[in-house]
Amino acid sequence: MRAAIEAARSGLDVAVVSKIYPVRSHSVAAQGGINAALKAADSWEAHMFDTVKGSDYLGDQDAIEVMCREAPSDILELERMGAVFSRDSEGNIAQRPFGGAGYPRTCYLADRTGHGMLHVMYEQLVKHGVFIYDEWHVLRLIVEDGSARGVIALELDTGKLHRLHSKSVVIATGGYGRVYRTTTNALSSTGDGMGLALDAGVPLMDMEFVQFHPTVLPRTGILMTEGARGEGGFLVNSKGERFMEKYAPKVKELASRDVVSRAEQTEIEEGRGVDGCVLLDLRHLGAEKIKTRLSQIRGLAIDFAGVDPVTTPVPVKPGSHYSMGGIAVDKDCQTAVPGLFAAGESACVSVHGANRLGGNSLLETIVFGRRAGVSAAEYCKATEAKPFPDSALREACHSVAMILKRDAGESIFALKSAMNDAMEDFCGIFRNKERLAKGYGKIRELQERYKKAALGDRSDYFNNELLHYLELGQMLDISECILLGAMNREESRGSHFRTDFPKRDDVNWLRHTLVHKEGGEFRLGYRDVSVTKFKPEERKY
Amino acid sequence: MKIQFRIRRYNPNDRNAPEPYYQAYTVEVALGMTVLEALLKISEEQDSTLSFRKSCRSAICGSCAMTVNGFSRLACNLQVLPEFQKMGGMTIEPLANHRAVKDLVVDMTPFWNKMEKVNPFLMPTEKTASNAVSAEDEELIDQSQKCIMCACCNAECNALEIDERFVAPAALAKAWRFVGDVREGHGVKRLERLSEEHGMWDCVRCVHCTQYCPKGVAPLKQIERLRSAAMKAGILDNPGAKHVEAMAESVEKFGRLDEAAMTFKTLGFLKSLGKIPLGIRMELHGKMPHPYIVPQIEGIEEVREIYREAAAREKEKKKE
Repeated sequence: MRAAIEAARSGLDVAVVSKIYPVRSHSVAAQGGINAALKAADSWEAHMFDTVKGSDYLGDQDAIEVMCREAPSDILELERMGAVFSRDSEGNIAQRPFGGAGYPRTCYLADRTGHGMLHVMYEQLVKHGVFIYDEWHVLRLIVEDGSARGVIALELDTGKLHRLHSKSVVIATGGYGRVYRTTTNALSSTGDGMGLALDAGVPLMDMEFVQFHPTVLPRTGILMTEGARGEGGFLVNSKGERFMEKYAPKVKELASRDVVSRAEQTEIEEGRGVDGCVLLDLRHLGAEKIKTRLSQIRGLAIDFAGVDPVTTPVPVKPGSHYSMGGIAVDKDCQTAVPGLFAAGESACVSVHGANRLGGNSLLETIVFGRRAGVSAAEYCKATEAKPFPDSALREACHSVAMILKRDAGESIFALKSAMNDAMEDFCGIFRNKERLAKGYGKIRELQERYKKAALGDRSDYFNNELLHYLELGQMLDISECILLGAMNREESRGSHFRTDFPKRDDVNWLRHTLVHKEGGEFRLGYRDVSVTKFKPEERKY
Repeated sequence: MKIQFRIRRYNPNDRNAPEPYYQAYTVEVALGMTVLEALLKISEEQDSTLSFRKSCRSAICGSCAMTVNGFSRLACNLQVLPEFQKMGGMTIEPLANHRAVKDLVVDMTPFWNKMEKVNPFLMPTEKTASNAVSAEDEELIDQSQKCIMCACCNAECNALEIDERFVAPAALAKAWRFVGDVREGHGVKRLERLSEEHGMWDCVRCVHCTQYCPKGVAPLKQIERLRSAAMKAGILDNPGAKHVEAMAESVEKFGRLDEAAMTFKTLGFLKSLGKIPLGIRMELHGKMPHPYIVPQIEGIEEVREIYREAAAREKEKKKE
């Protein structure tokens, strides 16, 4: 949406195509905040260092520099658009401390920052007259003779397929959290854009890096914001110990997410958990602070865990939260295909490297969303429209008809559940060669079964099951990419932890993984990391 | 515990059953399970043709509003067991006041159109753009900012039910989001537009919007804020504002409503004539207030004391 606004501002005819209405996108659930070095005592260099260190030195430093330098002006731009941020006692934008950050630089609107920002994006879409094709699911990116020509989309409420002919396409479809069983992500976070890009010949980068958020409600996977720890919450094991004192003596609960998640998983696996969880204790913050600064998560804990954090600690565990990897793009959001751009969680610039810091994902969407809009607009102005291939729509219609016609086959829900199990059990927080190989075998098997699965709903009209079938196909491809990357990366870095290779290995592995899909087969490649200001050193919190 | 769900099914394209009907599904419900989880379980295990919207499953995206046991709710934050125990059943239907498209999916187009009608974006002028938003300023618009656009309020709105052109509570709450923002530069113009027909004065203050909002937006509160801002800005030449003035005047004079006179004051003489058939029908049903007998209440001075006090306070506020 940020990209669409920027492109519309430059006078282009822009449309947003989305399988759900734009205010439903999962950015809406981002609770904690957005980072920017606003104060004189802070600096973009410090922000950059924290981000590079947080990424375990896998982030591209040229891209991180762009993000941290441009963050303050983008925050002010958001305010000009109408966003409201919480204020400190002097009337300045308030900033709270976040994990892995050396300075309190996370701006927020209570604990619903993403909601506030996403609605401002919607407002600006309306203001700039951007047309919204809501509940249109993109089936294909059309690339012909090496350049983007538009997309083919399925209109959900009629079942009709449409061709949308354009000079350029920006993918901003978010993450793939639904590949895992325990995830903070929305039911619609199925990584569609990544799968589409892969099919269009664009490689995915660093897919093995999956962030597990340390404070997730069990069963539902609902997120308790990092802000809860930023405001002073403790993590406690079954013996009542603040166990983070052991794993990160200096910053304790505010170590970066991969560190805290591994600590929790270790506590749980070594028998110091509480029903497979640890406890997030906020009681010492007092009712007043919980009710004002953390009111949303208090509501969530009451509704979904049956626990009021004012009086009782909340059971939490790690859950899949964020995809550091994604569509490989440069810092202007350009993919390998001219006219095709990507931004946000679906893209991999890479600013998060092997682990993302809290408060940097909203920032990435805003900085690189804007940059993608600028790049796409420049591309459109410099390029003539090229024809949309006639056969593309026919082929897409044919493939959908084939799915709907299939008479007998397995249920897609059983397949999805098997995929979730495979990824959770074999490609979770602690990985090794044997586990990963098992997971890979399982996903390959599911890929075959997927081709023969059949739907119970054969109608054209608001066919939810057809949508879920298409999503599952993308998720299986994504799972395969994650596993391939994880199997080959024989080191531990950031969120990717191999029990058989527990050390970081900068000699062999200070490089990005690329996965290409060619003729239905996956192929691996690698790319160097941009190191400018900060040489890799050991990462301790 | 096994619980039976009665779900309203509808698929106008189904040649065998183009009319709505109810279908029962039995679901094994675990402690803490939400209505959304139960619906997902039904669609995954029993009937994949059941259509409904869903996304974040944590009450922030606004997708899954539907009618549960007669009231507009978010399916994702409503637990089945307490609801079942309280209501004695589980009947699930699409949102009211909206056209059903298929099963529990309704056409949201009118909702977005109403939203767009109030120009839902900040329109600062050069002068107002740099106004800093203090914590108090934020507080004033905070409730309206919490809206997730789920349409529960519009579904429960009595005024919308009889007039689909009514701008309705969701968009009005959004309008206050901007009118109440210190950076907004066109607040008065917005209030003038909102004072037109089918605008904010059509609200009948039944409080349903506030009662059924799952996020504490309190749309009626925002409508009241808009109305009093409009009157303060001197936008009085409309039936809504006139009605309020006539009401205040009547109470000050008699200590009670002079209902017949209010009609004239609100609509003017000519338009009031159009109400004669209504008056006749009311008379026949014994509901006509008698225009000649409006006795002053006892203790009218106490009422007037309230008016004087209110005026004094208003004056003091202005001084500050």
